[in-house]
Amino acid sequence: MGVMRLGYVHARVTDLAASRAHYGDTLGMRLVHEQDGTLYYKAWDEWDHHSVVLEEGGVGLVKLGYKVERSEDLDAIEQRAQRFGAITERMSKGDNVSVGDGVRIVLPSDHVVELYHDIELLGTDTGTLNPDPFPRHLVGVGVPRIDHALITTEDPALLERFFGDVLGFRASERVVTDLDGGDVLGSWMFCTNTPHDIAFIKGPNGKLHHFAYALTDWSEIKRAGILFAMDDVSVDVGPTQHGITRGETIYFFDPSGNRNEVFSGGYMTYPDFPSITWTADQLAKGIFYIGRELNDRFTSVLT
Amino acid sequence: MATVTVLPDGVSVRSRDGECILAALYRSGYGYRIGCRRGGCGVCKVDLVDGAVEYTVTVAEQVLSPGERAGGTCLTCRAVPRGDVVIRLRDERLRRLFPFLIAASGSGESPEGKN
Repeated sequence: MGVMRLGYVHARVTDLAASRAHYGDTLGMRLVHEQDGTLYYKAWDEWDHHSVVLEEGGVGLVKLGYKVERSEDLDAIEQRAQRFGAITERMSKGDNVSVGDGVRIVLPSDHVVELYHDIELLGTDTGTLNPDPFPRHLVGVGVPRIDHALITTEDPALLERFFGDVLGFRASERVVTDLDGGDVLGSWMFCTNTPHDIAFIKGPNGKLHHFAYALTDWSEIKRAGILFAMDDVSVDVGPTQHGITRGETIYFFDPSGNRNEVFSGGYMTYPDFPSITWTADQLAKGIFYIGRELNDRFTSVLT
Repeated sequence: MATVTVLPDGVSVRSRDGECILAALYRSGYGYRIGCRRGGCGVCKVDLVDGAVEYTVTVAEQVLSPGERAGGTCLTCRAVPRGDVVIRLRDERLRRLFPFLIAASGSGESPEGKN
């Protein structure tokens, strides 16, 4: 019951042609639909209609879509969101291409999240009958699926409480200023069995830090990095490993300056996962475990 | 080719045709605090003191507003000089990242700075 996973990331881009090259040719997502200056992309191992929506005009995040298991979950989430004091509205089938009715919530951080249950099923590129392990004609990195997003908020503790109370997420890891009643500087929260399906760090409301693609392993991360060099993708950090989530990573930028990540590894989580705490003095190690140094872009470059 | 002069350091580098200011600086061995290099974050903003630049790709107005642009704010990762330009860094100094590139590029440094 409840939220199953991150379903789509809807972002703004300044240039559709450059975005096609990046998301289509370099990352290897498949363009499934195009309408009114908006591109709809799907990764090969995803079955729903799309997972990344790119809208021409500006930069940054328009909204995140999370898919719920049952349509009744929408009512329950709507009620809990209203009790929490969040602004909600019903969205109708067709408001988003291929997506059914749902609930739109403005988070305490001003980000917009859409909960939905119905979306057109396209199927994975390998299908469900005697499938091959991967499709034969992948392009570029050939990302299999999106994984999570990291957003910024003025009040991480409040947003953590919202995702917990309203959406049923649990914190896998938290960064606090000190151990005895300190402020929350960031939280990594899950609704699946991965280390995080959403994360947030302290910063301005409404901003995107990055959204991430899952890759299978470290060698795929390195291969992605080589493709980024071939295609002159602006790389932020990596390949390296996070302390928080233990994931292997490269941060990089799309042609509009939105940060993306390729992410692999990380541990399994369950509802009884004991939350991990990091103290602020160890934040650099938590973010980039090997280099143990935050570059000045980590907190300043947001879209 | 155009000359890009950076204040307050008084360093001059040559930019190639179609090359943005940021790329010319880094190719010449200099750097300063920058962000995404793709026009999304605005971290590389400087003041255009003299000359003109053009943007050959779309820059989001939420990053560089028309008012900022008119007031001389320049996004170096996207701005291509139209002729010689003078820019001023905001509250920081140019870093000499690679002396051998500085020497190879024939960049000029005025010891007492300019203006």
